[in-house]
Amino acid sequence: MSDLLSDDISSVPEFLAHALEMEVESAERYRELADNMEVHNNSVVAALFRRLSVEGDAHAEQVKQRAKKYKLPSIAPWDFKWACPDGPESAAMDDVHYLMSRRQAVQLSLHNEIRGHDFYRQVAVGSSDAEVRGIAAEMAEEEATHVAMLRDWLTREIDDQQPSLVDLDPPNTPE
Amino acid sequence: MNADVPGLQPSSFSVAITGSGGSGAVTAGLILLEAAAKTGLYGLMMRSYGPQIRGGESASLLRFGDAPLACMSDTFDLLLGLDWRNAGRFAQEIPLDASSIILTDPTVGAVPESFSASGANVCELALTECAATVEGGRPNMVAMGAAAGLRGIPQETMDAAVRSILADKGAAVIEAATVCVALGYKLAPAPEVPAPGSTVNPLVRWNISGNEACGLGALRGGVRFVAAYPITPASDILEWLAPRLEGLGGSLVQAEDELASINMIVGASYGGVPALTATSGPGLSLMQEGLGLAVASETPVVVIDVTRGGPSTGIPTKSEQSDLNIALFGMHGDAPHLVFAPLDVRDCVFTTQWAVRLAEHLQTAAIVLSDQSLGQARAVTDPPVAFEQPFGRVTEMSPADDYRRYAQTVDGVSPMTVPGVSCGMYTADGLEHDERGMPSSLAADHYRQLTKRRHKIDAFDFGPQWAEIRGGGDLCLVCWGSVSGAVFEAADRMSNDGVPLRVIALRLLAPLRRAALRQALAGVKQVWVVEQNQSGQLCHYLRSHDLLPVAPRILAKPGPIPLRPGEIVKAVIEQT
Amino acid sequence: MVVAAIKAKDYKSGVKPIWCPGCGHFAILAAITRALAYLELQKEQVSLISGIGCSSRLPAYVDSYGFHGLHGRALPLATGLKVARPDLTVLVAGGDGDGFSIGGNHFLHACRRNIDMTYIAMDNRVYGMTKGQASPTTAPDWSHSKMTPHGTGVRRFQPAAIALAAGATFIARGYSGDPKGLTRMLVDAITHPGFSFLHVLSPCLIFRPDQRSWKGEVHAFAAETSDEPVAAAQQIHADDGMGLGIVYAERLPVWPPRQEPTATLATLEKEFLV
Repeated sequence: MSDLLSDDISSVPEFLAHALEMEVESAERYRELADNMEVHNNSVVAALFRRLSVEGDAHAEQVKQRAKKYKLPSIAPWDFKWACPDGPESAAMDDVHYLMSRRQAVQLSLHNEIRGHDFYRQVAVGSSDAEVRGIAAEMAEEEATHVAMLRDWLTREIDDQQPSLVDLDPPNTPE
Repeated sequence: MNADVPGLQPSSFSVAITGSGGSGAVTAGLILLEAAAKTGLYGLMMRSYGPQIRGGESASLLRFGDAPLACMSDTFDLLLGLDWRNAGRFAQEIPLDASSIILTDPTVGAVPESFSASGANVCELALTECAATVEGGRPNMVAMGAAAGLRGIPQETMDAAVRSILADKGAAVIEAATVCVALGYKLAPAPEVPAPGSTVNPLVRWNISGNEACGLGALRGGVRFVAAYPITPASDILEWLAPRLEGLGGSLVQAEDELASINMIVGASYGGVPALTATSGPGLSLMQEGLGLAVASETPVVVIDVTRGGPSTGIPTKSEQSDLNIALFGMHGDAPHLVFAPLDVRDCVFTTQWAVRLAEHLQTAAIVLSDQSLGQARAVTDPPVAFEQPFGRVTEMSPADDYRRYAQTVDGVSPMTVPGVSCGMYTADGLEHDERGMPSSLAADHYRQLTKRRHKIDAFDFGPQWAEIRGGGDLCLVCWGSVSGAVFEAADRMSNDGVPLRVIALRLLAPLRRAALRQALAGVKQVWVVEQNQSGQLCHYLRSHDLLPVAPRILAKPGPIPLRPGEIVKAVIEQT
Repeated sequence: MVVAAIKAKDYKSGVKPIWCPGCGHFAILAAITRALAYLELQKEQVSLISGIGCSSRLPAYVDSYGFHGLHGRALPLATGLKVARPDLTVLVAGGDGDGFSIGGNHFLHACRRNIDMTYIAMDNRVYGMTKGQASPTTAPDWSHSKMTPHGTGVRRFQPAAIALAAGATFIARGYSGDPKGLTRMLVDAITHPGFSFLHVLSPCLIFRPDQRSWKGEVHAFAAETSDEPVAAAQQIHADDGMGLGIVYAERLPVWPPRQEPTATLATLEKEFLV
């Protein structure tokens, strides 16, 4: 279909099921990353991911409100029609490092938001169903505001150089 | 526990049968044992054999009497030599003296010097010629008939025993055997002494081996899962258990090795099913890490160690009591657990059952130290006592929200959920953990859990079965496990000769009942520790706990030859 | 709005994993919770058994019963549990060292027995927990471990090939970077009646940063799932070790066969009467 959409989403309930899954997974992923960063004592990045998980919960709630009047289909985890490994808005777990900087974390999140926005746009353009296209367009607009917010955050990050991902201490052996 | 009246010398007679190359020494022994049992005698049978799997030299060693028997006597009254090929290897296990009789057919060769040097009387019988007159006749059956006749065992009883033991060999074999037995009776000299106990009304008796008894004890204790790897001399337990466990709805898995065995029983036990394995010294060495996992995760398991000559591969077919150290100290870390040792064949039932119940209740590992001399001996004995099981696994079937698997409790035992119980989920761990089972390296958690695991065992009231204590006086013999039979008999002899003494035969070796042991030793001025190993493992263990009131004398003799009452008496009398 | 009875996140215990940020094991944990939710398995009916290593920490992160046992001995522990409790869904998780080095013997026999359980081998081709030694699946020339400074010089263990030869009736390979495929394979593995071996490539970015390249190296197996061992063997041997998919699945009798009790202890004891 297009690079993020693997197949036609042709009904509103199906679309909303995708949107809900996307937002819920994204928030959950940020929560997981926040916990993980906390365990590894990168409190700056942990706080950022924590905040993003809260934002993600709010977005998920908004989609739930929209979806209230529909009966959403139950979709098997592998049948979601995005052409990326996880939901388009979910941070890839392997793009993080315990020494990463806030700037890098914001960059990661911006990348995810852009992808989420692009997914909605592609549905808004490519869906065979007019109502779906309509709702997807609305949601793409909302996403655009998230993207803008993150771009704004990024400009305020003032790393001059790439952080060193080198840890001077040797690794531990917990077991 | 023995039900006999303490202090009575068992009046007994002992028969040995040697032969090779399929001559049937073992079958003859089994039939004699069965026949004696049917006349109301108690009995004990052991076997010895050469290294061949088939056709090797073989010896049956039997003892009968009118009181329960828990050891072989000092000498054999009768030796049936079916042939003499390599029989010299059994000479040390078949001590004879001038009052012994050797029954033999001169055509099979001369009696070896290692037997004839004893001064025993040789009685020559034409066993081969006699057997040749019967189609399918065998000299061992003739010899057996002669032995039975010599000892006044009624012929009908012998016939019944033949039918019973040879039941699956077919009618022709039974017929031939019966005819040969009859011929043997005719050949036998007139009975020397009336068979002891032959006027006793036969009561209910059992014919059981030590390994079978351990298997039965396990089943009585509730074991319904066994995983094990074959090893001499423990495999009999597994072979006995396999079909019977299945019949009761349980399972036996033949594991790929002992590492798998111990881990499998931990898994089954974690799932709520009492589980057990049986092995010998080399296998117990392999299982130490798994035993530690059971202790640390508080998962009940039982390992029966049928000990044999050690160290390493050692002497697989011979008995020794040299695994006490590894049973007590084999795990790394501070790992309190239970160690038991049955005192005789019949006691294998009770001790194993007791071990299973205690392991279940105290959520720990229990090792039962049987040995080859118990495991592979058959005893005709009183039926084992029925043991009411007042304690078992403490489970939590309706856990509260804040369920903690390893919670601190007054007695140290924390109720355990099992998979399937909702809201009781936890991950068991060999890592040190907090009350919820979460891994922890904190000092407070380690101290708490170490204390819990020690306290639950130390604080438990094990009751009087921790030892069998008899007699009185200021001379005391301390022993454990299979050697207790010979010690009790030696003590009876000395007692009858006017030397008062007491015997403490330990059944529970870990934890040590220190207060009870001190009390049992109160007033003792001389202590002997008797055990079948080189280094005096029990003696050093007791000394390390400062439990012996005086410096002990040690009678520590390694296998493969069993300790006999006479040598214990001699050692004690000579040094008193 | 339809809400699923039990969600994937409900299977998470809430304990925060100690895996390094970037570890592939997170995705496997997520896929397991999704598979369990899809199958609607009751939490108390699931048992997760592991050995020692980073991947073996997984049971604590799942809200089910579990046992974090000895290094290399998860499979026998799980076997004992499943034979004693056939009603449970038993999953085994562990790493490449735990499973193919110290656990190698048990791996062979577990495949052979065809017990109904699922074994998830999380392979990062290194011993992460103990500071980065070579594992049996490490390439012979990987020389970044002080313990084998010239590399091991020993050819790699071939998990899928050995599983097939040892008799596993379900063999699949997944990748932590392909959660959809992995979740689906997990569902198939768990529902397969018999021993399911799921070999999952899961990068360790701390000790094997070179494994970032896996993303571009994985590919689908050339052929469809086979139920024929010879064809599956050819497929496995022709593969470069990065092929994803279910390469072999066959229905054979599950072990052990179930039997109903036929005796009581009282009847058994009669055999000893003289």
